[in-house]
Amino acid sequence: MRRTLIFLTLALSVPSQAQELCQTIADRCEKHITAQYIPDGQFYRALLQGDEQAEFNLTLFGGTTYRVAACSGDADGVLVFSVIDKDNNVLFSNKDQGNAPYWDLAVTNTIDVKVEAGLDPSKAGSGCAVLLIGFKK
Amino acid sequence: MLAPTTSKIALGLCLGLLLVACGGSDSSSTTSGSDTLAVDTTPKETELLNVGGKLFSIPSPVQTALALRKAGLKYQKDLTAPLDKGEAVVGKVAQSSVLGIYGADLAYAAVHRDGQRAMATMQAIEKLGNKLELTNSFDRALLEQFKANLGSEDSLLRFSGTAFRAADQYLKNNQRDDVSALVLAGGWVESIYLTISDPAAAKDQGLVNRIGEQKNSLNALVELLEVSDKEKAASALLAAMKELQALFSTVNSAYTFQEPVTDAAKKTTFINSTSSVMIPADQLAAIMAKVTAIRNMMLA
Repeated sequence: MRRTLIFLTLALSVPSQAQELCQTIADRCEKHITAQYIPDGQFYRALLQGDEQAEFNLTLFGGTTYRVAACSGDADGVLVFSVIDKDNNVLFSNKDQGNAPYWDLAVTNTIDVKVEAGLDPSKAGSGCAVLLIGFKK
Repeated sequence: MLAPTTSKIALGLCLGLLLVACGGSDSSSTTSGSDTLAVDTTPKETELLNVGGKLFSIPSPVQTALALRKAGLKYQKDLTAPLDKGEAVVGKVAQSSVLGIYGADLAYAAVHRDGQRAMATMQAIEKLGNKLELTNSFDRALLEQFKANLGSEDSLLRFSGTAFRAADQYLKNNQRDDVSALVLAGGWVESIYLTISDPAAAKDQGLVNRIGEQKNSLNALVELLEVSDKEKAASALLAAMKELQALFSTVNSAYTFQEPVTDAAKKTTFINSTSSVMIPADQLAAIMAKVTAIRNMMLA
């Protein structure tokens, strides 16, 4: 019984810690979606372990500038993300920009893309990945 | 810098434990089978967060509202959903869908600088938010901020975007992904409805294209509803959305890659690839009819 209680305490406290962790990261990440941008109203997060990648598909509408903010760990630059088109061309990777925590995408024509995000293995082995998106009018 | 700190080690341990817990049904079965508490905690752990895998993004209703204004379509307040509907709807599926509908209507009113309607819509959202226990996201402070900025379209759009994101975050933190998906569905359907309800839209190629460009968003939405509706409470809605998905399957698109240009100083990449969509005219009419039917179902 005592062992079960210890297991229960751990099981309940770990998710709560993970949520708090994600919350702290989200609060930091939100600062990158500055006043010029309108938040898209959604919150994207994933727990990553090792070389796991979080992937999400989105439609970028033509004539719009988007800001993508990608955060993990306790400082900027832990999350590596790439924007990839339907033909698997890499349109942007923050790896080429010193793991920049945010980047703007100025889109001429509407396109469907995939964003892949993973941890920089030199900075973290596991963590909560948070992505936020805003756009300019 | 690269050496793991104590907090990183703790985090690694925590995540490791969580991952083990997520996949570890065998280990829990070794504990006493009569300990129902231990059994009850497992689903909550597995639902806590996505571990890797796919995430879904649905376009913001604000973008559609902006496109309507840009196309020069006349603002028609009567197209928006009745605000007393929020009081009348019962049950999670209806309340969540209508909350999403109101979110899109709020964007529509704010973009067309109808501050009075935007405020009334925000009040209806607050009431519905209470019913759905989202009081932290749509609270009195937000209403006051909203009221104080009625003349500023940018502020209203930003406040509402931030509030809906906070609500989405709260719902996901509390394993209420089904409600989150239904709010998105309501917002998406209402955005399309507002677009197609003006006969002038069908003559505007830019707006017709905008409808066709939502094909992948609809696919994501259907998947999201399907994955999150564990209680099968939204089966009728999901079936209708799948019928709409079948109509969208006739939408063809073409894409040509162009080399993007990055301006590192401005932290901006210019994506220059080209694309086009083609919707057969009869299919557009069928899509319009189906979207209207789904909206009526949500508001029934």
